[in-house]
Amino acid sequence: MKLKETCILALLLLFLWPAGLLRAQSKEGSSFDQSKFVPDIALILDLSGVTRDMANEKYYSLAIPGFSYPFLHEMGSSGSNAHRGWNFNYGELSLYSVVDPYFDLFAVIDLAPDGAGLEEAYFSTRKLPYGFKVKAGRFLASFGRVNEQHEHFWDFANRPLIATALFGEDGLNEIGAQATWVPPTSFYLTFGAEVLNGVNEQSFGTSGFSDPGGTVSVNPVQGPNLYIGFVRSSFDIEEASILFGISNAVGTTRTDHGFSSPGSTGQAVNANTDIIDGDLTVKYSLDAIRYLSFQSEYMYRVLNGTEYTRDSSITISSPSLDKHNSGFYAQVAAKVDQLWRMGIRYDLLMQNDVSLGGADQHMPSNLPRYSAMIEYSPTEFSRFRLQFDRDLSRYAQASGGWSRQPYTQVILQANLTIGAHGAHAF
Amino acid sequence: MKLSKMIPLLLLFMQTAFAGQLQVVATYGYIGDIVQRVGKDRVEVVLLARGDYNPHIIIPKPSYIAKLRRADLLVINGGQLEIGWLPQIIKQANNATVQPGERGFLDLSMHVHLIDVPTSVSRELGDVHPEGNPHFFLDPDNIPIIAKAITERLSELDPDNQSFYEANNKELYALWQQKMKEWEEKLKPLQGEKVVEYHKIFDYFLNRFGFTIAGTIEPLPGIPPTTRHIAEVEQLIKREGVKYILQDVYNPQDASTYLSKQLNVKLIIMPHDVGSVKEADNVFSVFDEIVRRLTNG
Repeated sequence: MKLKETCILALLLLFLWPAGLLRAQSKEGSSFDQSKFVPDIALILDLSGVTRDMANEKYYSLAIPGFSYPFLHEMGSSGSNAHRGWNFNYGELSLYSVVDPYFDLFAVIDLAPDGAGLEEAYFSTRKLPYGFKVKAGRFLASFGRVNEQHEHFWDFANRPLIATALFGEDGLNEIGAQATWVPPTSFYLTFGAEVLNGVNEQSFGTSGFSDPGGTVSVNPVQGPNLYIGFVRSSFDIEEASILFGISNAVGTTRTDHGFSSPGSTGQAVNANTDIIDGDLTVKYSLDAIRYLSFQSEYMYRVLNGTEYTRDSSITISSPSLDKHNSGFYAQVAAKVDQLWRMGIRYDLLMQNDVSLGGADQHMPSNLPRYSAMIEYSPTEFSRFRLQFDRDLSRYAQASGGWSRQPYTQVILQANLTIGAHGAHAF
Repeated sequence: MKLSKMIPLLLLFMQTAFAGQLQVVATYGYIGDIVQRVGKDRVEVVLLARGDYNPHIIIPKPSYIAKLRRADLLVINGGQLEIGWLPQIIKQANNATVQPGERGFLDLSMHVHLIDVPTSVSRELGDVHPEGNPHFFLDPDNIPIIAKAITERLSELDPDNQSFYEANNKELYALWQQKMKEWEEKLKPLQGEKVVEYHKIFDYFLNRFGFTIAGTIEPLPGIPPTTRHIAEVEQLIKREGVKYILQDVYNPQDASTYLSKQLNVKLIIMPHDVGSVKEADNVFSVFDEIVRRLTNG
């Protein structure tokens, strides 16, 4: 009985509690509320519909001989817009906040239907003196122009051909540290250096390998394995801004395709790779809304080392491997009004000299791709793009060499952003 | 080594600030003009955005990074007007002095009262600014407040010249009060007139001088007008007896021109910042020109 009365009294008290007191209490209830410290969160969704005059299976098996040769990387099966029909390209969750007065932290989580991965996560300094800044973590290397840009900022739905051929569908995304210096010059100038682990699938690698018989044994590279240096500068002529840079990446290449595992045949490469990149971007404002932009990049790779091949009779050949590959792209985009933008792009893989033990392998060179796109953006947060590609760079391995497999594709891409997404650089 | 050759070359290009001259970077023309009026020859003012461009959408030119790298003070409008272009410039400039939160970073929106602060924020409503309408510069009553904030900050960074800055501010204040009387006098006959504007950029001005804003040609902030919305505005202009259509210099003028011709309502292209039109080359002439264009016939 006593309990019941107490309960009723308590309930009555609760109901009759002066509103002012209740408010005071609820305010105190938020004493430890940290919701104001939630970082900037944004989600970018990218979907596409693809039609292509080639079966998926065949498309996935194609390679660019000399660049990805001699291993078929199935370059086509991963990455954006890979499949005919609908593609869920990515859901990119980005987080950014100031850590404290001294550091910034930025992270991008790549969400896919079958899992999530950390694409980027790094911190950078805010207060170093004399124009210095250091960042460390996992990030897109500041190598050239397109590599550092996020996919949704590109003018086209896919990476330029030379960048895919040298670094794969995910680009040069590495763990490491970067230092930049901006001198107090009257024009824009930045120097940068990066020390990275260097585990890119196409051009760099650290794993050791040995054949099952134990004849050949190559030790793993102890990291860091990849060193990048870059210089960038810019000037304006009237309403045109011209940005240009030179980047250089040097590291060890290690690839192992069945060489270490017992089985029929296998190949492995141990080499030193040196890639140089020159980039040029021009943006010209016609008025407050319309602009023309031009972006071009040239890359040149020199790879020197040894290729190990184990045939089915377990004999191992180890000729010297020497590759000289180059290529470029040039693209023009025009924003014609507040809603529409259009552009064309020309890709060309130029030099493709591969020699094994001093013998020229006669790789196909001068491989082009042609692209055109038109974009409709209702607001800066939503964009629909129709892109056309005619690609003459892919080959299938045939008896007695390589056979060219040109294809044509049309991509309809939707890209939408919600939340607090940071501003883009130039 | 190549680098050793480059270093003397670099030193040649390096510009050390003039002794005693503060390097001030201003995002928009009006800010630069006020800083110059307060700082006079003790400051060197560098502008970023062009006055005749859309202040929300500015191409973040790499040359801005070089300008910011050498700055002692960065003065911004704030209220998220620069959110689409400035943050990356600040990050890339590697200049600890002008980071947000430092004494070398001044956000003017923190010093004035912003109108139209939304109670709820959704991009369903277009390009809304959660802090309120950021075009506060166009309320002439805000100019002395802005000048005071700039004076205080300059004095803080350069205490030796505090009395100099304060004297200049006082001079500006007196001159401004005088002009205010003149503008009020000239605009008095237009009090209560109804107007339609393209974007909600002239609200502060219109509120201050007693105009009634009947609507906007943009259906939502930052979203270009649709045929249906233009038809609605047409009805609105007829129904409300709107006297002027006010248009900024940077947005397309097709819709405004159409409505103006169709309904025989006067279309006035209004300057919104220093440098937006030839005649508006300083903060005084911006308002002189607005008043002139409104009262001309």
